[in-house]
Amino acid sequence: MEDWRRIDIDAYDPESGRLTADDLKPPYSHTVSLQELQPTIQQLRSYTSSGDFAAAVELFTTDPPYNADEQAKSQYFSGILEVLTQVRQVDIANIVKRLDRKQQDALIKYLYKGMSIPEGQKHGGILLAWFEKLTQVAGVNPIVHYLSDRRTV
Amino acid sequence: MSQSLRPYLTAVRYSLQAALNLSNFSSQEVERHNRPEVEVDNTSAELLLQPMHIARNEHEQVLIEPSVNSVRMSIKVKQADEIEQILVHKFTSFLEQRAENFYVLRRVPVPGYSISFLITNKHTETMITEKLIEFIIDFMEEVDKEISEMKLFLNARARFAAEAYLEQFVY
Repeated sequence: MEDWRRIDIDAYDPESGRLTADDLKPPYSHTVSLQELQPTIQQLRSYTSSGDFAAAVELFTTDPPYNADEQAKSQYFSGILEVLTQVRQVDIANIVKRLDRKQQDALIKYLYKGMSIPEGQKHGGILLAWFEKLTQVAGVNPIVHYLSDRRTV
Repeated sequence: MSQSLRPYLTAVRYSLQAALNLSNFSSQEVERHNRPEVEVDNTSAELLLQPMHIARNEHEQVLIEPSVNSVRMSIKVKQADEIEQILVHKFTSFLEQRAENFYVLRRVPVPGYSISFLITNKHTETMITEKLIEFIIDFMEEVDKEISEMKLFLNARARFAAEAYLEQFVY
């Protein structure tokens, strides 16, 4: 064994107190699969096609599927992005005003997620409009919650 | 200010306000060290917070990576064509070579971005945080103007030089 002085012995100690990114996630009893999310995505589509955006936003900001796997999350998000980009600029303020604090926290997570992937960056302008309206209502609070929340959307 | 630039800068301002809540934090790995946790290979994930992406479009983005005692903020400046790419590269490297005069500037940008700032708890303790944010917002506004101005000057100068050179072939 060469270079044994450089071996990180703390890594082998289960009581060293080191945390990895996975340790910080809350323990979920089960992971939501894409099939279970499919009805919600359908519901979002039907709200969007009937023009009832307030209901659609309400639906996806309530109880987001934090315990889904990455693939299901990205599928689900593409449905949400469709809703967010189709709302007219003038309606955004009214929809945002109706959200409670938990829903605001969920919305800001989706906005940051949208701006981090190429599909969302194409619609950067509209996502930023959502962001601006949300900060006008809630100030810096949802952003602070976003920073320290380990549950990702 | 144009219609789409304002929400972009507001988003950056609010995100920075939330992220610039820094405290003095000694390293958990090395005794008597105090290092920006966002910069070191970290074995303790609890010190890093969720990164924030803010995008105006594919070419103009900001990435803010917060941690317990430091924030790294990277800006992707708009580069529409090859001349702008060269100008942005020259301009940012000019600033980066003088990074110690800017205090918060990082010498090397994060891969994929044009210029990076590293703000630690030392900076927020000695400077007014609001002014620091103001400086960064100002910088983002100015850098676009500066680049397009330089591009105009460059084109005018190239045209003049070409005319002066080609004149000698006219009889």
